[in-house]
Amino acid sequence: MKTVKTVETIKCIENAIELINISYCYPHVEEPCLKNVSLTVQKGKFMVLMGSTGAGKTTLSLCLNGLIPQLMEGKLTGQVSVAGKNVGKTAVQSLSKVLGLVLQDPETQIIGRTVEEDTAFGPRNFLVPLDEIKQRVDQTLAKVRLKGYNHRLTEELSGGEKQRLAIAGVLVMEPEILILDEPTSELDPIGRSEIYQTLADLRRKKDLTILLVEHSSEELIHKADEVVVLNQGEVAWRGIPTELFRNLPLLRKWGIKPLPVSQLGWDFYEKGWISFAEIPLDIPSAAGVIRALLPKYGHWQGPAAGQSKDRLLKQEPFLSEKTISVQVSDLIHQYNSDQPALRGINLTIEAGEFVALIGQNGAGKTTLAKHFNGLLKPTSGEVIVEGMNTSQYDTSDLAKTIGYVFQNPDHQIFSATVEKELEFGLKNAGFKGQAIKERVEQVLQYTGLEKYRSVHPFSLGKGERQMIAVASILVLKPKLLIIDEPTTGSDWTGVQTMMALIHKLHAAGTTIIMISHDMDLVAQYAKRIIVLKDGEVFRDGTPQDVFANEQILLDSAIVPPQLCRLSSQLKDILGSETFIQSSEFTALFESGEKSRC
Amino acid sequence: MLIEYLPGDTLIHRLDVRTKMFGFLGFLILSFLFLDPKYQLLIVTLTGLLAFWIKIPLQKIWRMMLPLLPIIISIILITGFTFTPGRFERVSSQAILFYALPGGRLGATVGGFLMGTTFILRLFSMMIVSSVLTLTTSMDDFTQFFQKMKVPVELSMMLTTAIRFIPTLDKKRRLILEAQKARGAKFNEKGIVGSIRSYIPLMIPLFINSIIMANSLSMAMLNRGYGLTRSWTSMREISFAPRDYWSISCIMLLLMLAVFVRFRLHLGGL
Repeated sequence: MKTVKTVETIKCIENAIELINISYCYPHVEEPCLKNVSLTVQKGKFMVLMGSTGAGKTTLSLCLNGLIPQLMEGKLTGQVSVAGKNVGKTAVQSLSKVLGLVLQDPETQIIGRTVEEDTAFGPRNFLVPLDEIKQRVDQTLAKVRLKGYNHRLTEELSGGEKQRLAIAGVLVMEPEILILDEPTSELDPIGRSEIYQTLADLRRKKDLTILLVEHSSEELIHKADEVVVLNQGEVAWRGIPTELFRNLPLLRKWGIKPLPVSQLGWDFYEKGWISFAEIPLDIPSAAGVIRALLPKYGHWQGPAAGQSKDRLLKQEPFLSEKTISVQVSDLIHQYNSDQPALRGINLTIEAGEFVALIGQNGAGKTTLAKHFNGLLKPTSGEVIVEGMNTSQYDTSDLAKTIGYVFQNPDHQIFSATVEKELEFGLKNAGFKGQAIKERVEQVLQYTGLEKYRSVHPFSLGKGERQMIAVASILVLKPKLLIIDEPTTGSDWTGVQTMMALIHKLHAAGTTIIMISHDMDLVAQYAKRIIVLKDGEVFRDGTPQDVFANEQILLDSAIVPPQLCRLSSQLKDILGSETFIQSSEFTALFESGEKSRC
Repeated sequence: MLIEYLPGDTLIHRLDVRTKMFGFLGFLILSFLFLDPKYQLLIVTLTGLLAFWIKIPLQKIWRMMLPLLPIIISIILITGFTFTPGRFERVSSQAILFYALPGGRLGATVGGFLMGTTFILRLFSMMIVSSVLTLTTSMDDFTQFFQKMKVPVELSMMLTTAIRFIPTLDKKRRLILEAQKARGAKFNEKGIVGSIRSYIPLMIPLFINSIIMANSLSMAMLNRGYGLTRSWTSMREISFAPRDYWSISCIMLLLMLAVFVRFRLHLGGL
């Protein structure tokens, strides 16, 4: 009996994934993408793999299921074993029974026309009998909360549903290990929390080992058992998530987005007010820390004083002369015969504003934005942009004054060099010779793309390609710039570079309309927020006003940024004020510090 | 041809895919058996009845036929002038209506025009029959058919994937078009060179995106065990029902009758 038990315990702590000294080099590249990576993941753990773009996260996951080196060429050394199987010697297809890999883009992982057909694809390849397939498909769909979707067409699913279907397609093969490569990068907050919820459910129900590749996320800190940080192909750090997220210098070093509340906490820690372990990672603990520190070090004169100061700040922009940039009246738009996508929008955006358009997927953000440069024409109502009625102008004419940067840069890049890519818009606008050269030169410098001038755009990373997409619009010197999700799929460094650029443009007088799901960014940069819900303007105001009421926003599936939620937790102290910048919180303590000195 | 499946519950919808394929073949033989436009007209009417039965979207058919009009006219003209009297069995067909060029050259024969009409009607019946087939048969059924006919799994896989990705690629095309329009691209330049040039900004990203997609699709397929064995579980067993035997007998009978009329009674020629 005893021996049986010990065997069982040995099995329990068996490693699901074992990497020994893995190095990998893509073909035609000198610098190796992975350098001597050694990593073990215990069975049943939920591990998160983090790191900036190009750190080797995706490459590592491809090594785990044998796509490297079996499908992709290149030089691989070291040993990979997964669930006791030597990956180098097992075909990808047989490995897929024990290890499921969900790749980034759900669109290209859906093979079937209907949900059922797609989910059944894996087991069919393994010649599982039909009855069992049907049973397994139903079970798996229930697990990813797609129950009853069997006969829906895959092309008609929403982004979140597609993503969950992609997970189902892998889960249906009943793997012991599940690897997900950035499964939520293109989803709205609701879609994202649905995926995380699904993962948490899966973990509870079954002894599944999960390796999740992610940039960063608030929700993951308490869900994951361990974090591994990759930096330039090497394992830079490994430990429990709370350790990592309290250590701000480390996060900065590796380009991982810190949590806004821990940023506050780090300030307190540096001042010696709290210990490292007290650095808050969620809102209640942050609220607790602030409550505890205020009487000691704070210098808060009550809501009234703060408010009057704020009023003064707010009034400044109104001093400048108003010119109207966008005027939307009674805009209704209807695609085909369905329900109208926009139902009666009235808006005025003044020149020089920084507006963020937010709302759930399908709320009509992109539909509205496409009216601003004439890609869509109103079904009824009027859109007047920079004095032009869009229904009377072609997009190619409007493009000279209204810039529109799309989400995916790969949909527009077609030239062999970055320089030529930037010239395209100018040529379309009728610029010639020297004028083109000058403007391209200017924008290359402005965006920091000079060094890539004669490089092929597709040899650059996603962040740089996104920058090229923006630059190719900026050459036209638009008065109004519309940017659709400028930061999806970028790492923290990339996000900061992009936002710094947008901020610089705004400061130079360009009117900015930004569509984004990232509430932290919206709160930090936008001066005005328009919330769309079901094709209507749901809220419109300053970030303070819009984010003040959490309950109302919940209706349109928006979760206010962390700091706003923190300030609403501290309502009894702050009064009606809503703080959105971390500087506002630290300001509570500034004078107090002085008096101490 | 119309390729999307038209949901319905007529007898044709319920027939086994093999029966339908056989019927398709039957109509093919039938229409190649006869040269006389009168008989062709009969076949077109017959296929038209089938189309009417499954409630084919008439507007779509019309939109499909309209661009073919110039071809129809040119086919009739070409056959009219190029078929020499010697090619026809019947005396009436050998008659020459008029000469296009002076000196008795390039004569237009009665038979030639009739032949042209036959070609056109044949084209029509083929289009209608194949539309009826594709509209009433789901993709699943076709894959089943390929499997029964011992066509390699790879081929049917290729077809299903291609059809699955048509809407995806079309969406990509629209996104690319919008992105380029936003940079001031015009897609209505005049002339052949101009229009080709203006499509470069559309075609290149579309190719690049397709290649990227194909690459990740191949990864996804391997991930899910594709290629481990050379076959796969079929999702549905197709089987013959009594209606299939009835239908096949009817088609056989029709074919035999047609052969009898054509070769024994020597009718339907030109």
